[in-house]
Amino acid sequence: MNSEAVLKIENVTKTYSLGKRSVPALSNLNLQVKKGEFVAIMGPSGSGKTTLLNVIGCIDKPTSGKVLLDNVDVAELAEGELYKIRRNKIGFVFQSFNLLPYLNARENVELPMENNSKSKAERSIKAKELLATVGLSGREEHRPQRLSQGEQQRVAIARALANDPAIILADEPTGNLDIKNKHEIVKLLANLNLNNGTTIIVVTHDSQVAAHTERMLFLTDGKIIREKEGLHLAKKNICPYCKGKLQPTDENCPNCGKTVRFKKKVPPAKDKHDETLAMSQTKHCDKEV
Amino acid sequence: MISIPAGIAANQKTTQTLTNNLSDAIAQTQQSLNRTIAQTEESINQTLTQIDCSLTPSAPQGFGFSPDIGNFSGQIGQFGGSPPADFNFTPGQFGRGSTPGEFGAGAFGGGGSNPMNQTYYADIADVAGVTAVAPVLQASEGHNVTVDNPFGGRTFARMIADYVIEGIPLTSNLVDNYPILPTNITSGRNLQAGDVGKVLLSENNSALFGAAVGSTVSILGEDFEVVGIHGSSGVSDRLILYMNLSDAQALTNNTGYVTTLHVYVNDATEVTNVASAVSVLHPELDVTTAQERLEQLQNLQSTYQTQLENAQSTYESQVQNAQATMNQTNMQAFQEIGVAVVATSLIVLFVMLYTVRERTKEIGTLKAIGFSNRSVMSQFMLEGVLLSLLAGVVAIVIGSVAAPLLSSVLLPSVSPVANLFGVRAVTATTPTAAASLSPELMVTTFGVAVLLGAVGSLYPAWRAAKTRPAEAMRYE
Repeated sequence: MNSEAVLKIENVTKTYSLGKRSVPALSNLNLQVKKGEFVAIMGPSGSGKTTLLNVIGCIDKPTSGKVLLDNVDVAELAEGELYKIRRNKIGFVFQSFNLLPYLNARENVELPMENNSKSKAERSIKAKELLATVGLSGREEHRPQRLSQGEQQRVAIARALANDPAIILADEPTGNLDIKNKHEIVKLLANLNLNNGTTIIVVTHDSQVAAHTERMLFLTDGKIIREKEGLHLAKKNICPYCKGKLQPTDENCPNCGKTVRFKKKVPPAKDKHDETLAMSQTKHCDKEV
Repeated sequence: MISIPAGIAANQKTTQTLTNNLSDAIAQTQQSLNRTIAQTEESINQTLTQIDCSLTPSAPQGFGFSPDIGNFSGQIGQFGGSPPADFNFTPGQFGRGSTPGEFGAGAFGGGGSNPMNQTYYADIADVAGVTAVAPVLQASEGHNVTVDNPFGGRTFARMIADYVIEGIPLTSNLVDNYPILPTNITSGRNLQAGDVGKVLLSENNSALFGAAVGSTVSILGEDFEVVGIHGSSGVSDRLILYMNLSDAQALTNNTGYVTTLHVYVNDATEVTNVASAVSVLHPELDVTTAQERLEQLQNLQSTYQTQLENAQSTYESQVQNAQATMNQTNMQAFQEIGVAVVATSLIVLFVMLYTVRERTKEIGTLKAIGFSNRSVMSQFMLEGVLLSLLAGVVAIVIGSVAAPLLSSVLLPSVSPVANLFGVRAVTATTPTAAASLSPELMVTTFGVAVLLGAVGSLYPAWRAAKTRPAEAMRYE
């Protein structure tokens, strides 16, 4: 694995002032995300998840501390520079997709590329490639209203990938989706991470979604209080529990003997089946750590 | 909104044209009148030592000045944008002796002066102070027309003069020393002493007979050689052809008779004395001095001047009134436009503000995915301007239909009328239907639309640019 840290957060504090009172959203938070990692940030409402995401995404500035994105301290940059960081280093995926309704899928994906040096034709080709990556070839000219919610979110993911960002930041990407679509989006993100090495940070309070990542961070009162390994590691042939090496066919870890993969008895045809499966996995994880 | 300036422009243009046309017409009339009077005055001044004697008890005027409709062909016509019709001003006939008028020949024509026996009046030459007497015979030749009595009843015949024969004693003394012949010869030569069987035509005569210099013309059955052509002038000799007195007398069976005696006095100061002496000698004669003619002319001139000035001031005040009304209306219209401009800007402002508010999330998204403040701002400015441009197109389409209708309702119609010499000389109606959209106005409309769009969307666009990208996270 590449161990280069793409994101380094050092002693970041963020305080909102509400009248005379100041409300701490993040306090002395430290975090490192390596290149190619798939990280979930979890926590109850008001724990600072979104603030953390905003600070990473350069749409909010920390009160103090450093936010190093590709070794650039974005906390120091002015707005005139920040939009370039947002454009080139960050890919946002929103809970409610945030596609422009009057643009079709391809144009939505082309949107972040509008100000880069690529020609129109190149942008169009790239957008089509990205849409193919998220499994939407043939739907390029469809407007968001003619796409299902899952498809819309896929377009949004393709859009987030448009400028080959260092990090994809996904804020509750499955919050608006039904279970079937939720799994498809999680699978898509996991595959992007696995196949393309895209660094992904997902903010969610859905433990099922979080369980499919590599690393789970639990945030409370602006601090990371707990870290856990997720099942996604197994896909990278690493045991989530003892970090020992796995063979692609192993169901149990040869080192610690714990179950790392479930044999699929029947192809998961029903949503309910998926749900129980995911739930059992999550439970399993919780118990062990 | 743009139909208002269209109407204003049209009406202003019309008023301007009206005023210009009137000024032109008045100026031309004035000029023509002045010229005529000056010429007449000059000719009278040349003959200050001349006394005219004739047997015309019924025609006291020494010159037939007929301020009649016909003479003043100054019907300028309806304006309506067209330039003033040609303006032939020939105020009457100022003539020596009993000159036949072009119209009303019966009153002032050749028949007006009774022939007088030349020998009977030969004693005038013996009056003290008289240096010469030039007996002149005038005879009018024309055709009779039947005229309906304008007051009903019977019709009557009236003679229209075609030409006037004036016989002049062509003795070398008179020809050389006294102004008995016309002076403005346009071609050929003047009559000379001793000319017999020769004729000097006026331009009118020349056209009437179809004769040129050197050709032979038949007058009352006799052949005459045309020696020259004299031009029409203030002296109303347009119809007069000149020939030797003896020829004229023979031609008109008036041998020994004349119609007028031009009496020449040795000194201008003697004119009055001589005139009274002649009147004593022959009380039946109508004796007119140049001084009297001049006074009459001056009276007429002042009468004309007054009429002209009255007409002018009447017309001007009418135009001024109309213009004042129009200015007032224009003022109102401009105020309305001002209100409309402010209202439009405000509408654009509020619509765009609303749009920006409605699209906060979209703008936040754009900023989150890397759009700069500038590009967001320019995008919204562009949107505002495009919307306004679209509105401009709609306005031009509606305006081109509504402008003529609206301007006829909104703006006053001007119909100034002025009377000149009893003739309704200048009438004009504002052609309100002419209110149309000029290309300049269309360009202006687009310009204003762009400007309003830009001004109105400036603040909303700035607000949009300032939208925090975190707004994209808001879940609705």
